[in-house]
Amino acid sequence: MRALLATISLALLTGTAFAAPIPVVASFSILGDMVQQVGGDRVAVTTIVGPNADTHVYEPKPQDAAVLGEARAFFVNGLGFEGWLERLVDATGFKGAVVTVSDGVKTHEMPEEEDEREEHDHDHAEEHGHHHEGLDPHAWQSLGNGLIYVSNIKEALCQIDVEGCATYTANAEAYSAQIAALDAEVKAAIAAVPQEERKVITTHDAFGYFAEAYGVTFMAPEGISTDSEASAADVAKLIDQVKHDGVKALFIENMSDPRLVQQIAAETGAKLGGALYADALSEPDQGAATYLDMFRQNIALLVPALLGQ
Amino acid sequence: MNLFDLLVGPFVSYGFMSRALVGAVVIALSAAPVGVFLMLRRMSLSGDAMAHAILPGAGVGFLIAGLEILPMTLGGFAAGLVVALLAGLVSRLTIQREDTSLAAFYLISLALGVMLVSLRGSSVDLMHVLFGTVLALNNDALIMIGAVATISLVALALIWRPLFAECLDPNFLRSVSGAGQPVHLIFLALVVLNLVGGFQALGTLLAVGLMMLPAAAARFWVRGLEALCLVAVTIGVASSYLGLLLSFHLSVPSGPAIILVAGAIYLLSLLIGNRGVIRTRLVPPRHRIA
Amino acid sequence: MAIELKDLTLGYDGHPAVHHLDGTFADGSLTAIVGPNGSGKSTLLKGITGILKPLGGSIERGATRTRAIAYLPQSAEIDRSFPATVAELVALGHWRSRGLWGAITGPDYDAVRAALDAVGLRGFEDRGLDTLSGGQAQRALFARVMLQDADVILLDEPFTAIDEKTTADLIGLVQRWHGEKRTVVAVLHDIEMVRKVFPEALLMAREPVAWGTTGEALAPENLLKARRMTEAWDEHAAWHDEAGHDGHAHGHEQGRAA
Repeated sequence: MRALLATISLALLTGTAFAAPIPVVASFSILGDMVQQVGGDRVAVTTIVGPNADTHVYEPKPQDAAVLGEARAFFVNGLGFEGWLERLVDATGFKGAVVTVSDGVKTHEMPEEEDEREEHDHDHAEEHGHHHEGLDPHAWQSLGNGLIYVSNIKEALCQIDVEGCATYTANAEAYSAQIAALDAEVKAAIAAVPQEERKVITTHDAFGYFAEAYGVTFMAPEGISTDSEASAADVAKLIDQVKHDGVKALFIENMSDPRLVQQIAAETGAKLGGALYADALSEPDQGAATYLDMFRQNIALLVPALLGQ
Repeated sequence: MNLFDLLVGPFVSYGFMSRALVGAVVIALSAAPVGVFLMLRRMSLSGDAMAHAILPGAGVGFLIAGLEILPMTLGGFAAGLVVALLAGLVSRLTIQREDTSLAAFYLISLALGVMLVSLRGSSVDLMHVLFGTVLALNNDALIMIGAVATISLVALALIWRPLFAECLDPNFLRSVSGAGQPVHLIFLALVVLNLVGGFQALGTLLAVGLMMLPAAAARFWVRGLEALCLVAVTIGVASSYLGLLLSFHLSVPSGPAIILVAGAIYLLSLLIGNRGVIRTRLVPPRHRIA
Repeated sequence: MAIELKDLTLGYDGHPAVHHLDGTFADGSLTAIVGPNGSGKSTLLKGITGILKPLGGSIERGATRTRAIAYLPQSAEIDRSFPATVAELVALGHWRSRGLWGAITGPDYDAVRAALDAVGLRGFEDRGLDTLSGGQAQRALFARVMLQDADVILLDEPFTAIDEKTTADLIGLVQRWHGEKRTVVAVLHDIEMVRKVFPEALLMAREPVAWGTTGEALAPENLLKARRMTEAWDEHAAWHDEAGHDGHAHGHEQGRAA
């Protein structure tokens, strides 16, 4: 498969010899990776919000406007993920294609927030526990949606660069195959966990689509917040929740005091998970630098924790 | 909710609550007598100064071993000791007084610490790692607090008499015994020990608060040294218990809750204590016939 | 225990308060130190106890037991706000026999009570230090000195603010100590008392004026000499040159501030 791809690319390249790569921009790291996979050498992708960064609260910089000015297409997630999107486009007077890659995804609303303390405060978004209202934008957390993303990306690239369409189609097919394969793997891995034990507490509210697609229940921690000092009641509430709901794993890595979470895990027998990647990829050396790796990493953390290892 | 659920239940049902109570009580036991002496020697603000003084030690620990608790705590303890001992020596050997001496050294230490940490490049929040919370006491932390308390109480018992003499009449002590200087320094070391141990387990507010507030409140009730210590310990223990209960039932942060209970007891003592405002100033004085 | 002073100079900030003092307090002697204000009497006692280090010369305290000196300061630098009772303060006198950890027993407390009684403070055992008058605090310290069982006893103005009757009692105690062959040195203002009670006297005016039996030392011409001493320090006085010491006589008489 790879060899075929390489041959075709080579043929196309020699056909369009010395054509410079098409500059495109992706809003954040996950999209950047996906666009790169589909576009291959024909595109030069610049990502605005890099690895380990928070897209929700990002403030566009002048360089971003400059880069966008040069680009032929701007790939964004949509669904309200990039609040700064319109501002940036307006500011640069961008005339290229703004591609909302989540078009066609079956969306749902954000899960209800029981924690009264931080909700309905959009300006509060710079804290770790940012919340959204309305649609849940994290559609890529289902690999099935990932396929839709890839398809949209391919369509868009084909439109702005008809000559390379064959390349893009081939790349997209190959990539989609990988995604589909991983999807099956994930489903199989999770199937190994009994249904009633697929319960996890995490401060990220980004896993709605994952929950839907793979049958894992993600709950928000009751009480504990990530920045203010915890009260005994908060800790007790969380312990109660873990015990009562049979939660298997805690993924609360950005707490104000990590020892607190360890205490809770020790007292309830739940496992402490590591860092789940929700909204961004990692640095190249951290093991979740591509979309697929990110998924593999998350599963590698989730499944053992759920199985109690 | 019955009385049991209100007063005892939380500690029975939740492991973290009973550990928190044990940890706070042990620190209260150990720190209260030290606090009494500090208060009597007019060094009540040294607790806060010490919290800053330990920074370069923690910084060195951090530079050597990264964000690990043990090396940073040991480093902090070493730095606190150096500052306390230097301050003590200077105040005895020169005209500088104890409080100024400590102020000078802790400021130097703090600045050194800030500079050391910034050498690493990142603005890592060392203090966050160094200072714990009473709700997160794991076994290691409990063992450490226990060790600190044991060492401190035993040492205090051993140096009780010379410490008493040193506080009351240092010139006399110097004329009959050479123990004055070492005892003074040992006492300072105990202060640092209790504080650093307390910081690590409970955070600055709780460690310093449980050391000073009960002692200050006890002043309004009794006079004698032993009595002051006993009353201070009692107040410290009571504050820990009530504070944790408040944190549990009213959902407020635990450290501040404990200290605010101690503070309330202090204010109450100030008003209605045997030697408080009302008894000494507002009640018409009586006198005996002889 | 005898105390020998060799060319002793004691002072503060480079200024001598005791200047070139030579002499010996013989073992078992009872000496009064007399002189005008600021003549270095208290300073000398502080030097003998070791609180003040000599600026020049030396002090030989005979025998090996350097902790065997009891000192009653003029105004004790005691922290009166520290929560201690009179009994606890006086009980410190047992230090030599009880040390750091020896238990203070019943008989020890009896001794405390007896000492308080002897100084006229019967019933003061449980009083707080901050409730005492100046004279009472002095007497409590006197009681402590009694318990110390020391070889050398230094008293600095011990009878200030004490009434006649008690003073007479305390003098009886001093004489008893003398009878017990302890070396006693007392700084006093009352020349008449000195003549009556103390066999030896040292008359000081920063420099020693006279040291010997009381009759000789306190002869009128000596008292006159002492009275001429300048009390204030001279900030422009020349530094004492050790090398030139043997050469000239120090002109420390009245008016020669060089």
